[in-house]
Amino acid sequence: MTSDPADPSDPTSPEGQALQQRRFMHLRWDLDKTYLRTEFDTVKDLIKTFRQKAEDKIAVAGASALLRALLDPRERSHRRVTFISGSPRQMRKVLTAKLALDGVEPDMFILKPNLENLLRGRFRAIRGQVGYKLKALLLSHMAAEHVDEYLFGDDAEQDAFIYSVYADILAGRVDAVALAAILSTCKVYRGDVDEIMAYHRQLFGSGEVVRRIFIHLERRSPLDRFAGYGARVVAIYNYFQGAAVLFEAGALEPRGLIAVTEAMESEGYTPERLANSLQDLMRRGVLHFGTIQKLSRELAAAESTMGRPVPRFLHAFEDAVGALENLNRPGPRWEAEINYLGIYHEARFRRQQHRFLGIRLLD
Amino acid sequence: MAHIVLDSCAGRDGGREALEAAAIASLQLDHQITVVGDESAITDALAKIAHDAERLRVAHARDRCEPDQDAADVLRQAPRNSIVVGLEIAARDPSAVFVSAGAPGTIVAGAQQILNRIPGVPHAALAAVYPTLRPHGPVSDLFALLLDVGATVECSGDDLVTFAAMGAAYASKISRIDRPRVALLCNGHGIANAPVRAREAHRRLLAAKPAFEYVGCIRADSVTSGDADVIVTDGFSGDVLLRTLEGVAATGESLLRRAAEKFQWRVGVQMLSDGISAIREFTDWENYGGAPLLGFGRAVVVTQADSGRRAFLNAIRLGAKIDRLQVIAAVSEGVAAFHGLSGPPRAPAPDPEAT
Repeated sequence: MTSDPADPSDPTSPEGQALQQRRFMHLRWDLDKTYLRTEFDTVKDLIKTFRQKAEDKIAVAGASALLRALLDPRERSHRRVTFISGSPRQMRKVLTAKLALDGVEPDMFILKPNLENLLRGRFRAIRGQVGYKLKALLLSHMAAEHVDEYLFGDDAEQDAFIYSVYADILAGRVDAVALAAILSTCKVYRGDVDEIMAYHRQLFGSGEVVRRIFIHLERRSPLDRFAGYGARVVAIYNYFQGAAVLFEAGALEPRGLIAVTEAMESEGYTPERLANSLQDLMRRGVLHFGTIQKLSRELAAAESTMGRPVPRFLHAFEDAVGALENLNRPGPRWEAEINYLGIYHEARFRRQQHRFLGIRLLD
Repeated sequence: MAHIVLDSCAGRDGGREALEAAAIASLQLDHQITVVGDESAITDALAKIAHDAERLRVAHARDRCEPDQDAADVLRQAPRNSIVVGLEIAARDPSAVFVSAGAPGTIVAGAQQILNRIPGVPHAALAAVYPTLRPHGPVSDLFALLLDVGATVECSGDDLVTFAAMGAAYASKISRIDRPRVALLCNGHGIANAPVRAREAHRRLLAAKPAFEYVGCIRADSVTSGDADVIVTDGFSGDVLLRTLEGVAATGESLLRRAAEKFQWRVGVQMLSDGISAIREFTDWENYGGAPLLGFGRAVVVTQADSGRRAFLNAIRLGAKIDRLQVIAAVSEGVAAFHGLSGPPRAPAPDPEAT
């Protein structure tokens, strides 16, 4: 266990605020099941997704509001957003149009060369994500002196794994030998391995750049599944939770948090659901009681200035927080060394243990 | 959307299965679920279970009550136990339904302290469903209602007629029976041999001409025939009757297991396996969803002490149904209408065992 290596200086102090303003923020988003509500569990779903028009695609509740808030025009000059998606390159036009409809303009948009992989007979690369995403992350890394990266993925794929490897390469914790072992275990193609190792030589030990990795629990996976990654990975049930964590870190302005809250409400989220979400973060030690108080003050101020129907939210928050005894639980540990191979094999075993020769073994 | 307040300190595996049921319900049902218990232990356990934290809240209960403890002792020695905390949450929220596998005595005592009683109800009744041969109502519900099964052991005639009104109102909502047939559980061949409280209740029910159909007395051997939709008795006899029915079902199961002793019997049982499974499903108490505690202004569902995931899930579903159909309001109206016809109930008689 180590102290929080990614914790920026106190954002509430004047020095902290000045530093916060000087820093670049690089947002990395996955698309399917992270930003977009996409179904691709069956071939039918895949075909449907491929044929969907931009206006038919639906963003996950609060995702576009959060992204717009983070890319506030006042801050845009030192904010950057890169989308890295496993969707085929042929979908670029429709996906760009969807983002434009949501008012999001990506600085970089990386899509997977699935057709090329198919034609070259690289079938593992069509389904596999480790080689493709890790390479794309390293390729699009923004070399700047003060940069904070916030990564967004989901639990349907290996985003927590890939993002953490990337973060630890930059932090100098995954050396060439360890990386080679990881890539070999993940059966990454030789060409991709060479390219990743070349990036590794350039970027290894760049610094503690990745502040948080948000994993949207689209499949509602158990939280324990992400415990091995330490506090840097924050599993979230919705983007209100993500906004609250970013608000606590000083990366999101109060008006941004209010915008996300309103967007969630318009998507049918009741004050109780949002309050439950806050309580969940508090119980996990991810969010502190002081943040809830600050958030309540901001919401109350927003009500008095803009006449929003806030009291129901405040009442629900008080109720949810009041139901707890330990209001300031120590947060999860920041792991100094993540056992990537162990996590990989555990996940692989988990996927396989349900069936053996078609026979159901475990629930 | 109902608010289910689930006590996670009782049930199979020390309440672990209650928590698993809450997690499954949070994923499958669109209800607000509050799990009451040791917050730290619940949070640790939830981390290992797939759940939807948007629909799940945890309320901390500092004290833990043991299932075999006396109700008065529990409330005195463990004042912030999960039953008390859960009932307090339920008392604050009109859409709340409290579900617990805790000791019925503690739940009744806690409810008497914390929840408002429905006007005109001197004592609460625990209502259990049991399978019958004849279907009930337009939805062909195969289950009839038996109350009280343990909430009020010493009953008066007033209690029994109020139970009749409450049970009929409950059955009219849950089984959609316009005019439920209500019977009094009696011994022997007629009311003449029944105890004073039953004779008094019989007389008042005959005289009242209530919104339900009073069909008179019914003997214990006719309970499963389905001649009555609601059977009313005191908490002591009701509990004995219910346990007897469950015991008979369990004995049947044991007898079937003995069939494994002979090869021919085993083959016979195998050939009948579909039918046996259907009967097993039909008589399995875990499918019933617990017993509603009637008489309070909030819905309370009591499940058996060894309830597992399925029993809790069905209890949650029953609780949500009670909320959706506004059953508590219907029970309240049913009691008011009955007492409007037969006059207000007398004050409850003093408990002879009270010191």
